[in-house]
Amino acid sequence: MLFFIISKTSFFVYNLLAIVNSLIPFRQKKGGLMSRALVIALLIVPLIGFAQIASAESFTCLACHGAMKGKIKTDKGSFIEVNIDEERFSKSVHGGIECTVCHKTFKDNPHEAPKGEVPKNVSELASLVSSKAKIDPVAYAACSECHGDIYTQVSQSIHGRNIMEKKQSDGALCNDCHGSPHYVAPAKSKASLVNKWNVVKTCGECHQNEAIAKKYNLGTHIIEKYEESFHGKKHKLGHAGVPTCVDCHGAHGIKKWDDPASPVAWGNRVVMCGKCHPGANKKFVASITHKPLGKDNPIPYFAEKGLIILTVSTIGFVILHVFLEAYADIRDRVFRKGKEDSHD
Amino acid sequence: MTDERPTEFQRFNLTFRIQHVILVVTFLLLAFTGWSLKYPEPALEYTGWWIRLWGGPKTAGIIHRTAGLIMIVDFIWHVIYLIYHLITGRMKFDPATTIVPVPSDITNAVQNMLYFIGLGKTKPKFARYNYIQKFDYWAVFWGMAIIGLSGLILTFPTQASIFFPQWSANWIWEVLFTLHSDEALLAITYITIMHFYAEHLKWANFPMSMTWITGRISLRHMKEEHPLEYELEFKGKPDVKNP
Repeated sequence: MLFFIISKTSFFVYNLLAIVNSLIPFRQKKGGLMSRALVIALLIVPLIGFAQIASAESFTCLACHGAMKGKIKTDKGSFIEVNIDEERFSKSVHGGIECTVCHKTFKDNPHEAPKGEVPKNVSELASLVSSKAKIDPVAYAACSECHGDIYTQVSQSIHGRNIMEKKQSDGALCNDCHGSPHYVAPAKSKASLVNKWNVVKTCGECHQNEAIAKKYNLGTHIIEKYEESFHGKKHKLGHAGVPTCVDCHGAHGIKKWDDPASPVAWGNRVVMCGKCHPGANKKFVASITHKPLGKDNPIPYFAEKGLIILTVSTIGFVILHVFLEAYADIRDRVFRKGKEDSHD
Repeated sequence: MTDERPTEFQRFNLTFRIQHVILVVTFLLLAFTGWSLKYPEPALEYTGWWIRLWGGPKTAGIIHRTAGLIMIVDFIWHVIYLIYHLITGRMKFDPATTIVPVPSDITNAVQNMLYFIGLGKTKPKFARYNYIQKFDYWAVFWGMAIIGLSGLILTFPTQASIFFPQWSANWIWEVLFTLHSDEALLAITYITIMHFYAEHLKWANFPMSMTWITGRISLRHMKEEHPLEYELEFKGKPDVKNP
């Protein structure tokens, strides 16, 4: 509750500050320095009182990080984004949270002496995800403080183990699906990257990526095959009842499809499909393979090719016939008047 | 008695006309709702205006399935009607009236094409149904069987899966889906090109042949387009003047 009040207060304060910010240029033109100072004094002075209990830090950080543009170079030579879009941050689900709640290592003046206290479990997790989270692994691990259960699921998933056990620098962790934690939108909202209508594209960021598919030996046409299926087409049309990737494969605890723990493993698939298709049986659940047409999937491939040949040749013949018939009809009526009764 | 001489010939009875109207309505509904699923528009808000016109994907699906079932019933009614009339002898096989393809259809087609391009002097003499009309009929007949059956299977996938062998389980659904949608595309394009030309755009029928409502065809038209049937019906009878 206290946290809620603090976050809401800081939110309020921060918004007011944004209003002042927007007023300043206007005031400058009209009233000059005095009125500008007056406005700031009127608004800021009482707010400092709030800010002391609430979120002086967020102001301090955003004062620079809200205005900075571009990327900066770190000691190790990589470029990192340091700008925070204040407006989007304030609207995100994390908008009310202090910067240092996650960025634990930056306690006082980060640019001189980062020495914040990091709880042991977070620092352990930070070292696990360090291969992925190059900029601030502690902040990445800090998700677990609020989202503990989900983090546990992720750490046991194929995505999580790929990073935490195999120490890969690519593959999915929190940010890859949910986007930056600074701007993360509620899962059900339109802007969310993981809502029903965006999640297929989000999964496709990696599962349509050829380099990643090659590295991890993944199917390359998974998303395409989904989009061509009944499920995918209805999804595209906005059918609310249709399953997306996560409805069948699971989300945070996702396993490889043939892992016996996966909901789409052969042993579990009848149950999984049966959620929407009562009476699903072993033959029925074998229907979805996500296999591309071709070498691995020859019969549908040749069926499709055969039907294309049938359709194109029939339509070609029909168009030709119609044009010839129309031509002959007009020719007879215009140039061969009187001859039409000859065969009576 | 001159006033009672017929100027028109009853080509289709009421049953056939009703069957045709049901076919037209369900065909259009199926085509309109099915089209959006074959080519889903990734438009604004994920639903194109077209699917919204049909009440959204869920309602469109219900319309599609209902229309499909009605069309299948219409098809079965038509087949039973034909079988009954053939068994009881009310309908007899005659080369001049049959819808069944006969060898002369091929020679007619060749002769007609030659006439079109100016290499033949005379038009072929057609029976009650010319080769295009037979093609029309059997395309729809075959289409209803294939699309209807695959559609029925796709409507009840879990129940239908029991009848498929295990070794087909991996690919049969993709085949059925392709069959259903590609055959439908063929039917739609065929109808919009061939059937619309023959019954709407053709000089003699423009803007629309009324036969599908009245069931009648003018004797003049009959003599021109279906001379063999005309001979069969009116041979030996006093000729009628062109209306």
